[in-house]
Amino acid sequence: MSKGDFSALASSIQAVASPFRQYLNDLHERYQGALDGAVADYIPELALADPNWFGICVVTKGGQVFEVGDCDKLFTIQSISKAFVYGLALEDHGRDYVNSKVSVEPTGEAFNAIVLDEATNRPYNPMVNAGAIATADLIKGDSATERLKRMLAMFKRYTGRDLDVNVPVFLSEKATGYRNRAIAYLMLNFGMVTDRVDETLDLYFQQCSIMVNAKDLAMMAATLANGGINPVTGERALDEHYVQDVISVMLTCGMYDYSGEWVYRVGLPAKSGVGGGITALAPGKLGIGTFSPPLDAKGNSYRGIKVCEDLSRDFGLHLFNVAKASHDLDDWLTGSGADSW
Amino acid sequence: MPKVVSIHSYRGGTGKSNFTANLATTLAMQGHRVGVVDTDVPSPGIHNIFSLEPEQAPVTLNSYLWGEAAIEEAAYDVGGAAGIAAAGRLFLVPSSVKADDIARVLKDGYDVKLLNDGFRKLVKALELDYLFIDTHPGLSKETFLSIAISHVLILILRPDKQDYQGTAVTIDIARQLNVRKMLLAINKAYSSLNFDVLKQKVEETYGAPVAGIFPLSEEVVQLASEGVFCTKFPDHPVSQEFSKVAAHITAEG
Ligand SMILES: Nc1ncnc2c1ncn2[C@@H]1O[C@H](COP(=O)(O)OP(=O)(O)O)[C@@H](O)[C@H]1O
Ligand SMILES: [Mg+2]
Repeated sequence: MSKGDFSALASSIQAVASPFRQYLNDLHERYQGALDGAVADYIPELALADPNWFGICVVTKGGQVFEVGDCDKLFTIQSISKAFVYGLALEDHGRDYVNSKVSVEPTGEAFNAIVLDEATNRPYNPMVNAGAIATADLIKGDSATERLKRMLAMFKRYTGRDLDVNVPVFLSEKATGYRNRAIAYLMLNFGMVTDRVDETLDLYFQQCSIMVNAKDLAMMAATLANGGINPVTGERALDEHYVQDVISVMLTCGMYDYSGEWVYRVGLPAKSGVGGGITALAPGKLGIGTFSPPLDAKGNSYRGIKVCEDLSRDFGLHLFNVAKASHDLDDWLTGSGADSW
Repeated sequence: MPKVVSIHSYRGGTGKSNFTANLATTLAMQGHRVGVVDTDVPSPGIHNIFSLEPEQAPVTLNSYLWGEAAIEEAAYDVGGAAGIAAAGRLFLVPSSVKADDIARVLKDGYDVKLLNDGFRKLVKALELDYLFIDTHPGLSKETFLSIAISHVLILILRPDKQDYQGTAVTIDIARQLNVRKMLLAINKAYSSLNFDVLKQKVEETYGAPVAGIFPLSEEVVQLASEGVFCTKFPDHPVSQEFSKVAAHITAEG
């Protein structure tokens, strides 16, 4: 056994024995039986989800991966895609231009509201459907295929693996997306999007239909937490200058019209999707990915919120926390000092 | 807080199982709730000391590792057999002695994560104060796991060159795995040796405390693993040495 073999084995054993893994196990056990909320059913593909599916994954800045429950189960990314596509738009055009097309103002309106800022005609922020469609419009590429490929390549840099679009979900979203079509044409009317509206709508429906798992969501969040570099592959996914832009809108607008209370209670930049996923991060520390299909009245994963609340409280992850947390993150990750028995 | 105590040695036949059984029984006699898991899956043996016959124990650690049973279903109350009056204090999770079962584990291995989760479930289900892990000699994934999770690691060595060298390797690894507390126990020491000098020498060599020195004992050999020594011969010096080691374990908060 060479030194390298030994340290690889030792670190894998330490991950198994880590008190933090145990903490996540307990968290999973605590909420597995919580069956509040309802699975999204506006398209048949989502209604098929089993309410019992439940995965929690945490990836640290150092690339340690902790998984409990259904972390490999694939589901559609839905609105979570919006935050990351916003990052790509920033890379494509820079901050000023993107700001001129999409504002960064939280809105108390529902995510699918047909409202634009009255003075500027800009959609309120990139996390509501209007803003996300305007953002998708900004993605560069000579053809629909190239734009989609660029998006998928971007997601691959975050997750470290190839992702696919779920075609039946895409077609369902497209077939029933009247409201989004209306929003897009309203924005075209105001000159806020280019006239390739149908192509952009397809791109938007496709970006929402990308299949991910809880581990991907944790890896994506950890990549942002790590300054835009995937902590496992070492590959850069987002220009470091735009990391703060993306996580700012996640913080203020990421959890639909629960965002204000979310900042107050949890205080982590996050984005949820109606597929049951949540991606959340503690900048400079770790990324969290949760998957549990039942949604609360605001459209956020019920168990996912519980998990993030507990993690934030117990480890003092709230961005504005200045008090000593009951659990020291480093101690729990390394096993030194922490006792999870 | 429950405490996990792993008993290990680099080589076989050092007296791990005998030591585990006696220490566990000593603590159970003091009123603690104690569980023992035989993780020596390739060569199980501690069930003999607790007089648990394979026919009485159809569900084993193997059953749990293969997903056929909950770990607590593989736990047997061995207090009576160990000579403790009170029931519900001392439990053993044995490993299977069936050749096919052993072969299956050796061939397919098992997920150490599952073993770790099993330890924790057992501690919860039986509300244990102490969990003892009897191990297979040498270094393996399972050994690493038991070192990494235990509150106290007890390394047993005999006064023998091969044991000395192996113990040094194990200690090195235990330190790299951030072991919380490590104790040494010297077993099968000839009565002609000066125990105080031996203790001092071993402590200096390894930089770890020697919690007890056990003489090579004819009475232990005579008992031949059919019963727990410390309840059969409570006043014997060997039994008193076990009480000393037990005090080391209960002392810390
Ligand atoms: N102090 C001792 N004096 C004499 N024999 C001992 C002593 N300790 C253990 N033995 C005997 O040594 C043998 C091996 O002990 P065991 O506990 O099974 O070792 P291990 O589990 O390390 O393989 C057994 O026959 C046991 O009775
Ligand atoms: Mg043994």
